[in-house]
Parts: sequence; structure tokens; C-alpha cells
Amino acid sequence: MAGLEIISDQGYRIDGRRSSELRKVCARMGVFTQADGSAYIEQGNTKALATVYGPHEVRKGRGKIQHDRAVVNCQFSMATFSTGERKSRPKGDRRSQEMSMHLRQTFEAVIVTELFPRSQIDIYVQILQADGGNYCACVNAATLAVIDAGIPMKDYVCACTAGFIQDSPLLDISYVEESAGAPFLTVAMMPKSEQIVLLEMNSRLHADNMEKVLDLATQGCKDVFAVLDRHVRDHVSESHALMTAS
Amino acid sequence: MKEVPMSTCEREFILKAIRDRKRIDGRQTYDYRRLKVSFGMERGCCIVDLGDTKVLAQVSGKIEEPKKNRPTEGSIIINLELSPMASPAFEPGRPTESGIEMNRILERNIRDSRAVDTESLCIVAGEKVWSIRADVHVLNDEGNIMDAASIAAITALSHFRRPDVSVMGEEVTVHSPEDRDPVPLSVHHMPVCVTFAFFDQGEFLLVDPNRSEERVMDGRMVVGMNMHREICTLMMSGGMLLVKEQVLRCSQIATVKVAEIIELIQRALDKDAQARQAGEKCGFAESVPTNKITTNRKEATAIDTTAAAQQASQVIQEAGPVDKPMSNMLVQAPGTVQIGEGLVNTWDVDDEDMESEEKEGREKSVTNGREAVATSKPTERKRPVKAGEGTVSHAEGSDSEEEETVMLFQGDDETKSTEEPDSTALMQPSNSDKPAKKKGKKKKAAQK
Amino acid sequence: MQRYYSVGSNMAATDETSALLRSFECEQNLLSRPDGSANVRQGDTSVLAAVYGPGEVKMSEEIIDKATLKVIFKPKIGLPGCAEKLQERLLRNTCESVVLAVLHPRSGVNIVLQVIQDSGSLLSCCINAACMALVDSAVPMKCLVSAVTCAVMEEGRIVLDPDSKQEKESSAVLTFAFDSRENNVVTCSTKGCYTPEKYQECLSACGAASRNISSFFRQAVERRMSKEL
Repeated sequence: MAGLEIISDQGYRIDGRRSSELRKVCARMGVFTQADGSAYIEQGNTKALATVYGPHEVRKGRGKIQHDRAVVNCQFSMATFSTGERKSRPKGDRRSQEMSMHLRQTFEAVIVTELFPRSQIDIYVQILQADGGNYCACVNAATLAVIDAGIPMKDYVCACTAGFIQDSPLLDISYVEESAGAPFLTVAMMPKSEQIVLLEMNSRLHADNMEKVLDLATQGCKDVFAVLDRHVRDHVSESHALMTAS
Repeated sequence: MKEVPMSTCEREFILKAIRDRKRIDGRQTYDYRRLKVSFGMERGCCIVDLGDTKVLAQVSGKIEEPKKNRPTEGSIIINLELSPMASPAFEPGRPTESGIEMNRILERNIRDSRAVDTESLCIVAGEKVWSIRADVHVLNDEGNIMDAASIAAITALSHFRRPDVSVMGEEVTVHSPEDRDPVPLSVHHMPVCVTFAFFDQGEFLLVDPNRSEERVMDGRMVVGMNMHREICTLMMSGGMLLVKEQVLRCSQIATVKVAEIIELIQRALDKDAQARQAGEKCGFAESVPTNKITTNRKEATAIDTTAAAQQASQVIQEAGPVDKPMSNMLVQAPGTVQIGEGLVNTWDVDDEDMESEEKEGREKSVTNGREAVATSKPTERKRPVKAGEGTVSHAEGSDSEEEETVMLFQGDDETKSTEEPDSTALMQPSNSDKPAKKKGKKKKAAQK
Repeated sequence: MQRYYSVGSNMAATDETSALLRSFECEQNLLSRPDGSANVRQGDTSVLAAVYGPGEVKMSEEIIDKATLKVIFKPKIGLPGCAEKLQERLLRNTCESVVLAVLHPRSGVNIVLQVIQDSGSLLSCCINAACMALVDSAVPMKCLVSAVTCAVMEEGRIVLDPDSKQEKESSAVLTFAFDSRENNVVTCSTKGCYTPEKYQECLSACGAASRNISSFFRQAVERRMSKEL
């Protein structure tokens, strides 16, 4: 995009971040009482809400029952007011179907589904405000919700984007940077073992730069993990304190 | 129809072979199956054979209004069709999850990486642009549809020629191929997908998995890359975990494979271009061996049909003369025609009943316009007494026949209709404007 | 090479008294997945057909005393619409009259047709391809079915197996499918205006041509069975 400087001469980005800096992450767990698990996350201006139901018996479509593990059902939607132009179709279009599928694949790999044969776990995620990195916000919110629901996972799963603009890798791409047409990589990984659960890339990136971008994204995931972990610990000690107090 | 499930022992066998670094079809780890690209008669049509996997792609273009936010760019639509021909598991209609995923990968690989210049597809900014559509049909699924589809799509796009267009002021002319040579799309680079299959939690990796390998694999990674070693799309998902080194290794392997594939595509394109230049016959038919026992061919044959005309007239004669169509058609008013005799009612039905029924039917058909005439006329003849005034009035040259007949029975039916609420209830919603007209007519008749 | 010759009353157009079918090619068993497949090429027109079955059928589509035949017609460009549905219906009716569906109750036979190239006489090519695919899949059949398209030109001349240009110029296009045993009409699909005399003339001309195609089918099957597998 002509005329738009993504990185200033001083090395700062449009929103004042440095190239390897995350946006501010705010999170809350247990935002709903009805759901088995829920969480809300803000990553900069991207806001996502996740709820988890289950494990429960398989509803609609008995054919989906797996005898050796639980099935994970994910649904992604975007609030009609989440984007600059009002969205007419909050879910069901190809992009959200793809997103739902990616979320399902991510969590199928991470949740210890073998513990709940013949059952189902539902994860519903909604984007309340979209400002780049929707998938990441969804994954991070859903991770917290799954933890809140007390469903065992192999590890946290954290997601982060990394782009490659003006010959330098950038962490946690915002919407403006996303729409500049530069390549960016979305990674979901288990931060402790550095195992990649999902990897996706758009636009063109030279194979030689791949490693740099991937390294940065890995670092980003670890940073996200640090934040999420702190939130989980705070939340648990808080609720523990509440319980002992009563 | 469902896919036949895979037996546990077959699964174990394939996995064991892979652990022994062998593949069941005798290939090496990084080998592709035989790749064949052939072109159809039309421009922008190609079939890609990857082993037994077969994919057909057809590119077409039409002129459309551009999107509001991109007034100077044409559009590229890629549609991957998992035809039920390819596998019994593919159902016609709504695309499946995996179908959507593959379609998105194709779109990202070709459209989002700007492989085809969309700005050159603009004819009149904000008004007319070319919309290029690539339909990719999977004809036979023997594994790795993704690679075959991506090769087919980009090859078909490179092979396609759109009609030349010239703009003279406000006027846009689309030139026929005879008039001006069609123009190729400007393809900047050719991205091709390479699929890797992973087994045993990423410990073993294979290139170009066939169907049975696909069924036992943990997950796959698709790397879309072009000649310049630029990664155009990268997709890894599906219940397996990888580390960074594996991803980087895959991208290196992809570099080699992509170079091979693109060279083959180029060669095929060049060969086809030469053949077309030389005016040779091209098309799929030319690339099919005809000496197999499963093929049979006959040259154009003449069929002796001398007897056809004779036979035809014979049949016609035997059948006897066809009932002549009604010759006594009466044109009462422009746009109307009347047939039928209006014979005496032979049905054993009470006249009174008939009347109310007819009225109902007629009232409804009046709204249909012309058809009304045919139904209403016979009754007119049937009751010559009542018809008296009607016939007089249309002999006078009334403007509309149907309104006339409606009026006919108005006199004595009006009392009836109050007795039978059913019929009136039915007619009211359909023609609200009728009563007024009828009254007007009635006045006219009264004057006479 | 002259492509077509005239038939019938308007003999003055050319001196020939015969009509020409375009070259006819058929390849069977070219796809590995389906139970039967065939590619039939009539001149430049090419249709690929695949047959799955008899196999499992959806509960809602199950017929108690015979097999359910389903035809899926895939156009080359765009998504199938109304016209394709009509085509499917025609093809299904044609196939239903020759397939011995009663031998496979409560099962399904799917026939999928993919247009590879449309250069006229598409419907007849589809029927021929479906027939050859059914033969290849070894679904029991009463007899073969062969179809011929003819076009009635403006001046009344009849052209057998027209290409798309001829179809466009014609005043009517008629397609007939015949069974191979009695040469009875199985399907008849027409478009445009013609007199009953012309209809009869087309019918007998196509009947003659269909015998030629039937014998070609027979020959193809004989050729296939000439070697022990």
C-alpha cells in the first residue's frame, strides 16, 4: 500500500510497538456461569469470547461417535459489529467454516480426547472486534475456556502471527499491517515442547526468510503463554481464596 | 455411498512398510507419481494425471461489474469440485469440510499470492472487468488431490486466452477469435502445491501420498511454492505435532519438487503451443493410446438413410390422416382466439350447480387474461337466450371479450352469489378491481 | 473432408444419399475408483461417465423391490442448475429402462457424467457414455442402449450427429435412444419445430445410425473380452 509506512525510520510500528512486541493482552476466565468453561480475551483491539461445553454425550448425528476418543466440535462466528463494515453473515461463510475447522483440528490435537470416549466437547468462539490475528485470539481464548472447564490438555496451546514487512520480521500483526498485503504466518503451538499444532501462511515469502519469521512467531507464542499462564494462576488462586473464605 | 473402511491389518501393513522406509507402490520417500499434463481442444482446459489421480480444469471468463472497493481489478474465482465421480464418499451438493479447506488452499495459493495479474483484467474502471473462473473437477481420487488440483488450476490459467477487448469512448467491443487473436492472462509466477504426509507423530515423512497412505497418515502439510523459492501458501493441520526443523526441511524439499513440476508444465505448455501453431489437431483424444483392448475406435461412417424419407411417408400414410387442427378459430379481438364448438352438455350434472361452478371458474380465469375466452365461450353458446345481449354487444366491437362474458351472467348471478358465499369469497381477493369495470360494462349494455 | 451429407427429400442439396456419423471412440475402464467408467468421444464431443454400484443407498432413497438409479450430470463450467437437472432426469429414465434394477433390491447405482468437451450432440454422447460405463461396471442390463442426435436444418435437410455449429443453425434438434435388441425407441428428446413427417424421417434415420453404434458397442465389448485377464 503506497504512502503507508508500516515501520517508521526509528523502527516503530504504526501503533508504536517495536517489531518483536506483542499487543497488550487482557484476559478473564469464567465470564459465564452457565457454560462449563468460558473466557474472554483482548489482544490489542481484537476481542474474542470463548465458551466450552462438555464433555457430554454426542448430540445430533450419532454417526459421529468415536469409540476411542471424544469428538471436538468447534464453531467460529464473528459478531456483525466486529468489522468496520457491518457483517451480514456472522457465520457459515467459507472463511468462518475454514476457521471452525482449523480450531477443531487444533484442539483435537491438544485435548487429551482419549480420556472421554463416546463423548463430545463443544467449543464456541466469537470475535467481538476484529483487528488482525483473529485466529490467534480465538485459540488463546479457547485455551483459557478449556482450562476453565477443567478438560485435560497436553499443554497450553498458544497462537501468534508473525509477518515479514520491509525486510524485517514483525510480531503480532494488526489489521492495518495484515491488509498491507505482506506475507504473514499464523502459528499455533504448544509452548513448552515448541511443537507446532497448526501452521498457516498467506501471500508470498521467500523460503530463506521462513526460518526468521517462524522463530519470531515461536517467541511470540511463548510470550503469549507467559501471559496466559499468569492469568490462569491468578484466577485459580482467586477462586481458591473465595472458596476457603466461605 | 460410503467409502469401504480400511482393515486394521492393511493399516498395520502400510505403517510397517513406511517404518521400514518402503512405500507400498514401490516409490522412494520423495518420489512423485507419474505426472502427465494434457490439454483439451478449447483454451484453458487441461487434465492432470498424477498416477491414477485425475483432475480436469477449465477456465472461463466473463465480463462483470467490479467490486465496489476494487474498481480497477478483475476477479479470479477458483472452484474445486469434488465430483462424486472421484470417490463414492463424495456427495453431490454441499461441499464437505475437506473440500472447503482444499478450495481455500487453492485460492490462497493462486489468488492471494497474486499469481495472476488482476489489474490487467480491467476494461472500464468501476464498470466492466473480466471475471475469470477456474473450475477444477476431481475425476478420480487416488490420493493427493491437492497437488493435482493446484497443478491443473495454474496450468489451465496459463493456457487460457481471453477474447481481446477494445474500448472506443463509451463503447466496448469484444472481438471474436477470428477477428483478433485472444490474449493470454498475465501470469506472474506459477505456484504449485507439494503435499507431505506425516506418520508416527511426524517421525516419518512422505511426498505425494497415495490414497492408502492418506488414510493412515497422522496429518499433512501443504507447501505452495513458485520457481523463485517463494512460499505462497503453507498449511499444516490435522492432529499432529511438528517441530520447526521439520517445517523447514519440508520447504527445502518442496523447492526441488516445485522446480521439477514447473519445468514439466512449461514443457507441456510449449508443446501445446507449437502444436497449435502448426495447426495440428490437439485435444485429449490425441493423447490417448488407441491400441489398448479397452479402447475401440471407428472412423466417421456413412449411414445409409435413403430409405428414411420413404419409410417416413409410409408410416405417415399408414397412420392415416391426422385430425386436422380446429380450423374454425375465431379471432374476436386482437390477442385472443377462440376454439371449440360449445356442444350440448352431456354430463349428467344439474344445470344450477354447473352455473355456480362455472362462475367461480370463470371469475378466476378472468384474472388470467386471455385463457378465459376458451372456457367462457362454450357456455355462451349453450344458453342462447342469455347470450343474446352478450353477442350483440361484442358484435358492436367491444374492446375485451372476457369482460363481456363476465358481464353476461352478472344479471342473474348477482343474487346467486349472495346465496353462495363460497364462490364470492373465492373471487374477491383475486380481482379487486373487477367490480368497478363490470358496472361500467353493465351501464353500456343498458344503454344499448 | 465433407462432414455431413443430406438425407431425405431435399436431395438436391448434395448428391449423396447417405449421412455421416462423426468418428466414434470409446475407452472403458480408465478410472480406477469407480466400478465402471467410460469415455465416449463423438467427433470432438467427449463425455466421461462413471458408475458406482450396486451399493449402499440412503434410507430415504431406498426402493424395496429394486435398485435406485441416480444420475449426476456435471457441467464443465459453473455449478449445475435446472438444465442439468432435466438432463439428469432424461438420462435416468433412459438407463432405468435398460438396467435390470429388480436384481438388486434396496441398493443404489450412481451414474456420474462429466462433460469434457461439448461440440454438439451432447445428449446422445452422454447416453452412449452412460451405457458403456454401465457395461464396464457389469451392472446387469436387458440390452444396450445407443443414442443418435440429428438436426433438421432450415431448408429441411437432416444432419446426423451434428456439431455445435450445425445445431445452432438448425431449426430443430432431435435425439433418439434405441435399445439394441428390438431397436425400439427408449428415449426421445426434441427441441424446436418440425412436421410429423420430418419427425418420422429423423426417427428412421437415427434408427439406422443407432444400429451402427450398437454394433460398435458390441465390437468394443468383444475386443475387451478377447484376452484373458
